[in-house]
Amino acid sequence: MRTSSLHKFAPALAVLLTLAPIVQADELTQVREQLHALEQKLLVLERKQEIKDEAAATAAPTTPKLTINDKGFTLASADAANSIKLRGLVQLDSRVFFNDNGILNNAFVLRRARIISEGTFAKNYTFQVVPEFGGSSVAIVDANLGIAVNKALQFKLGRFKSPVGLELLQSDSWTFFNERSIVTNLVPNRDLGIQASGEVLGGKLNYTVGVFGGVADAASTTNTDFDNEKDVVGRLWASPFKDTAGSPLQGLSFGISASFGREKTASGRTAGYKTDGQQTFFSYAATTIADGQSWRYSPQFDYRSGSFGLLGEYVVSTVNVRPSVTGKKAELQNKAFQLAAGYVLTGEDSSYAGVVPKTNFDFANGTWGAFEVAARYANLKIDDAAFPLYASAVSNADQATSYGLGLNWYLSKSVRLTFDLYQTKFDLAPGSPITSTNAVLRQDEKSFITRFQLSF
Amino acid sequence: MKIKSVLLSALALALAVGASAKSVELLNVSYDPTRELYVDFNQAFAAHWKATTGDDVTIKQSHGGSGKQARGVIDGLQADVVTLALAADVDALYDVAKLIPKDWQKRLPQNSTPYTSTIVFLVRKGNPKGIKDWDDLVKPGVSVITPNPKTSGGARWNYLAAWAYAKHKQGSDDAGKAFVSALYKNVPVLDSGARGSTTTFVQRGIGDVAISWENEAFLALKEFGADKFEIIVPSLSILAEPPVSVVDKVVKKKGTEAVAKAYLEYLYSPEGQDIAGRNFYRPRDAAAAAKYANVFPALKLVTIDEEFGGWAKAQKTHFADGGVFDQIYAK
Repeated sequence: MRTSSLHKFAPALAVLLTLAPIVQADELTQVREQLHALEQKLLVLERKQEIKDEAAATAAPTTPKLTINDKGFTLASADAANSIKLRGLVQLDSRVFFNDNGILNNAFVLRRARIISEGTFAKNYTFQVVPEFGGSSVAIVDANLGIAVNKALQFKLGRFKSPVGLELLQSDSWTFFNERSIVTNLVPNRDLGIQASGEVLGGKLNYTVGVFGGVADAASTTNTDFDNEKDVVGRLWASPFKDTAGSPLQGLSFGISASFGREKTASGRTAGYKTDGQQTFFSYAATTIADGQSWRYSPQFDYRSGSFGLLGEYVVSTVNVRPSVTGKKAELQNKAFQLAAGYVLTGEDSSYAGVVPKTNFDFANGTWGAFEVAARYANLKIDDAAFPLYASAVSNADQATSYGLGLNWYLSKSVRLTFDLYQTKFDLAPGSPITSTNAVLRQDEKSFITRFQLSF
Repeated sequence: MKIKSVLLSALALALAVGASAKSVELLNVSYDPTRELYVDFNQAFAAHWKATTGDDVTIKQSHGGSGKQARGVIDGLQADVVTLALAADVDALYDVAKLIPKDWQKRLPQNSTPYTSTIVFLVRKGNPKGIKDWDDLVKPGVSVITPNPKTSGGARWNYLAAWAYAKHKQGSDDAGKAFVSALYKNVPVLDSGARGSTTTFVQRGIGDVAISWENEAFLALKEFGADKFEIIVPSLSILAEPPVSVVDKVVKKKGTEAVAKAYLEYLYSPEGQDIAGRNFYRPRDAAAAAKYANVFPALKLVTIDEEFGGWAKAQKTHFADGGVFDQIYAK
């Protein structure tokens, strides 16, 4: 019975045993398919997230970018084609005069306090507005627009520095000394005009050519033109060895600038030429007017090699003047030159654009920033023919010779302390009395000017 | 006076030097899969331009979904030339922003389309799902990769090729609509451009079949190996004619009109056509077409004009906001 029962189920068992591997294989295939489907679902989810992230990354560049660093505050569009930049410059001076017989006040002076607004629109159009809150009155120092065609051709319109004086063109913040040399007395300062400039020959030659309203030596425009005449101003600046790595001449740049124009003024030619201590040592008589051609030329150079820097310029300024509207006309030629050198004691590179300290001053961490020593010799000679008809021989110097020694402490890229010792020797005009009526000229000017500067 | 003359001469010289310093830069805004084509072509054109004029020209490339790229140019991307996937995207430059003239397509031969392409299928080696023609793409369980027709020119060609197949097979636009509706139900992810879709299929391993530009499919085989993928040619596809145009307003502003025009004309030169063939685009030039004839399979191709009444109509009917694609995909 038992045997017959087994026989009865044997075929079914055989079928089951035969089918078992097939059923297992089907299940395996099913599981594999399910796994594949799940894997695909997972991959799709990951890919969707990836696409979402890519879209977000593409969209991100539309977000404006705010940058705050030691160059100022910049708000720029994502593509950097449009930006507005806010910078600042504050210079607080302490002026101490020695052996001056008590005629000059030792004083604190807010020399410069500027909020500098700059911007770019559509990549190629720029603007700059610089109000000055330092000194004795508020004024607009610079206000100009720029149009960049390409590197070789850029236009600037408005009020800005006339491109004649080398040291004048250097930023106030980074000159070797806290006051520019007496040579700057003979070049125009800010003027209204339009100029084209650019770099050619792979940046080895820079040119600037412009037409300006025309201002007197050391003067800035009052934002109005006082005659119908214009000055043409040009400058060529070459750095022929800039690409010769390792050459001792790599850091040599030199050039020449010039201005030419006609002027006819109704009042005094200049507010005066000033010493390093900012005292007036020469000015034309109040009745003297400019009438006729005026021109300047200035060969100049700048050399940098590692920590060492050397800057030199020579300026000849010629003007036609009359002692009064109907007085005799004369052509006067004043000349000046300077040679200034600096050496960064802490090893950083000397630069026309300022020293960047390797470390910032941080007493807690024992870092001290950068230290630079500087020396300068400068001379300015007035045309002897200026005396006494066009300028008083009793109250003016005929020549000033200046010596300077300085120490610059760069606490950071933005903060600088300068300690400068100046001595200016005066030669009195021919025919002048032994004792000048100008108390400033009765002795050498000896001054010690300390400046705390924040520039970003 | 002498100094004045010297300075004025210096001004004139300086301006002349500034003006004569010729180093031109062009921006070619193109669609997704043309990266490799234009890398080759730009190099050839720069050499040609230097030899012809002595001037240096640098061509920058921008790639993305064709519709998205057109939008970028309309929104201010300073493209000197556009080399997009389809005429409707170039038309938008006139319709929306008047950056080009209305008759832009008449300025160069063959309606400003220097090369053509078509739509094929890319499947995994061995074709595990047995894909042979369009009908296989709507079967349940088949995962299809194609980009978003709202942003990708290639995707629009894919969509229209599928529609044309169904229309030819069943004789009505209703059949076309039903077919693409079923097709997009099998699409798990929509990339914004054709290159993104290739990445999805080839690199991320998603899907069983990718509807692809022919050149993109060949490139996938070349780059990732014929041992991993194979191309399936459907019984019917569409003649894709990617157009090119100078962006008049931009080149006039930048002063690059002559070089931009020469750039596009050079696409029709023997060298330009050879580069197109080498990069798996079907050349227009008979000699180049003959040279690469064995590369491109023969298949029945319909045209956008015959099947859909031209791009303007197709765009409005199918891909504009609220068009057929929005209706079927929203469902």
